[in-house]
Amino acid sequence: MHELLLFASVPVHQHHGLLQQLAGLTAMQPRHALERRLIFKAFRKPGLITGRVGGSQDLQQASAGDLQRVNKMLNGGMFYTQVVGPVSEKDFAPASKSVSAPDADTKMAGMDESKPPTLTQPDIAHVYDYDQQAWKLEFRDIPEAATRSAITTRVMASAALPRGDVEPSMNAWGYGFVTEYLVEGDVFIHNDIVIFLHRVLHYPTGEKEPREPRRNLPPLKKMAPLEKTGSYVLQASITVQDGSNQETMKTASQHLLGLREQLKSAVRLEPADRLSLDTRAK
Amino acid sequence: MPITGVYFIPTTPNATTTLTTLTERLRASFPDDDLIPIGRWFLDHKLMRDTPGLLPHSTNSGQPPSKPRYMQLLSLSHYPTHGFIYTSEPTEKPFHPPSAASPAASPAPVASAASPGQGSTVDMPMVMTTVPPPAYKTLFQHFTYACQPFWCHRLTVTVPNGVVYDVGDFRVRMGDVRQTFPAARARGSIVEIEWRGPSVVDSLSGMQQPRSDGGEDVDSGVDMSFCALEEADVDAEYVATASLIREFWGRLGVSGAKEAILLPGVGKEVKEKLGRVRTGKRDGESKVRDEIGMLVGVGSVPFEDDVDPTAGTDAARQYMEVLRFNR
Repeated sequence: MHELLLFASVPVHQHHGLLQQLAGLTAMQPRHALERRLIFKAFRKPGLITGRVGGSQDLQQASAGDLQRVNKMLNGGMFYTQVVGPVSEKDFAPASKSVSAPDADTKMAGMDESKPPTLTQPDIAHVYDYDQQAWKLEFRDIPEAATRSAITTRVMASAALPRGDVEPSMNAWGYGFVTEYLVEGDVFIHNDIVIFLHRVLHYPTGEKEPREPRRNLPPLKKMAPLEKTGSYVLQASITVQDGSNQETMKTASQHLLGLREQLKSAVRLEPADRLSLDTRAK
Repeated sequence: MPITGVYFIPTTPNATTTLTTLTERLRASFPDDDLIPIGRWFLDHKLMRDTPGLLPHSTNSGQPPSKPRYMQLLSLSHYPTHGFIYTSEPTEKPFHPPSAASPAASPAPVASAASPGQGSTVDMPMVMTTVPPPAYKTLFQHFTYACQPFWCHRLTVTVPNGVVYDVGDFRVRMGDVRQTFPAARARGSIVEIEWRGPSVVDSLSGMQQPRSDGGEDVDSGVDMSFCALEEADVDAEYVATASLIREFWGRLGVSGAKEAILLPGVGKEVKEKLGRVRTGKRDGESKVRDEIGMLVGVGSVPFEDDVDPTAGTDAARQYMEVLRFNR
């Protein structure tokens, strides 16, 4: 599958207005989304490759072509990949009182007594259940190095994973957990374009960076935006099932460029810097 | 999850057993039963190996050859809600310090390197994962596309035209195993024998599924009986049923078969379920997540809910055991 994208930076003061404009353009209410994003990195045994690749003189028994193929594969690309899980505001710990946290790693003591953590009525009985958390694997390749760079294009894959603890499976498949963050935003659908106005939130600093995905979540109020001013990213994307079909790709590009024109007075949609979206693991 | 046994009869130059032969044997062995095919079944199995393990062992370097690691992807038509992915556990626990500049992955071997090199792969613990059918396909493509340095696709075999029979208390699935990748050729035949008689394990694993017959108070007397059940009872039932399946297989009189029954790891999910029932935590009662269930991110697939993600894992393990050809 391929993904075609355009991005724009949205300062925080423009956020509310743009939400209204997008709601008008798409004729739909924004769908609020909160996503846990776990970053995994592909790994291989260090030193294994360098120790063997050169010594081909004692590897005569294998056919040269086969060996060449294996060597080529060994030096193939390795990637970071994300595991994404949707959460709701209720899944975050209430800020007002410190809930008896079973996980000692996560400090949940509330200091901000005045503000309730959620806009909705907080469900007292609701406890975040990590074992029931839904996940999906979201892989993105580095954007294609194309001369026609009006639009960012990249190979993608999206696959549902089992609920609960994904780490054993991911480890077995060759991926190690690196870190995690949260994405907060609103989704709009405009014909075949998915518009996602979002920003990245970091877990509270000060708490120990855990070596595995968090089993419970801190108060949402304590999450700090990655971009200190709190600005948002507008992402417009189209997914194309068959990226080798030039006709479809062209149509999708035209649709995205059409949206760019429609939103021209509000934001400037642009392709992203290719290397800033590099997902390759060194 | 019924208790099963799986038998694979490899095709050798001097002995060829096919579906036709097996069907004849079955008819001859059970002359009193009316053998009418009650359905068809299909299997697809992809075998992947760790790419570094494909390099021939260097003779002069001191390091012992590492054990092969496998990833097996299996799809069975009798468990249509998910595909099975069975992967060797990693030999090292990866950890990437988020702030560290260099990827100084400290190798901390989890699995003991006690018996290096040759031998069966059975002693290597494996991780079972079940994913919805679309994800099964996508993940395989992902592994072949983005994981080449550590996973290499070696074989694909299918059972394109399997036949299902009911014989007494058993359900028998038979079929010819065809290799489709890298080259098309016959590999042999496969037989799954499923015990359909009374079984505590089966009723235990089927317990969470909502009963449509209604009226029955599912959560009163029925569940209490499971509290008295120990893991040892589950083990005992597996052993007892295995002997029934072996007896059945013995009556067919087919020689040269590879048997997969009572494998390590078989019954794991049933025991986990039993543990949950005993501690009173019913995962069937897990909260309704429909508000989040349909929440879709950007360019992604919606979440589908698998009612029983562990269904068929025992049978899948057995199939994968016999289909883990030495490649």
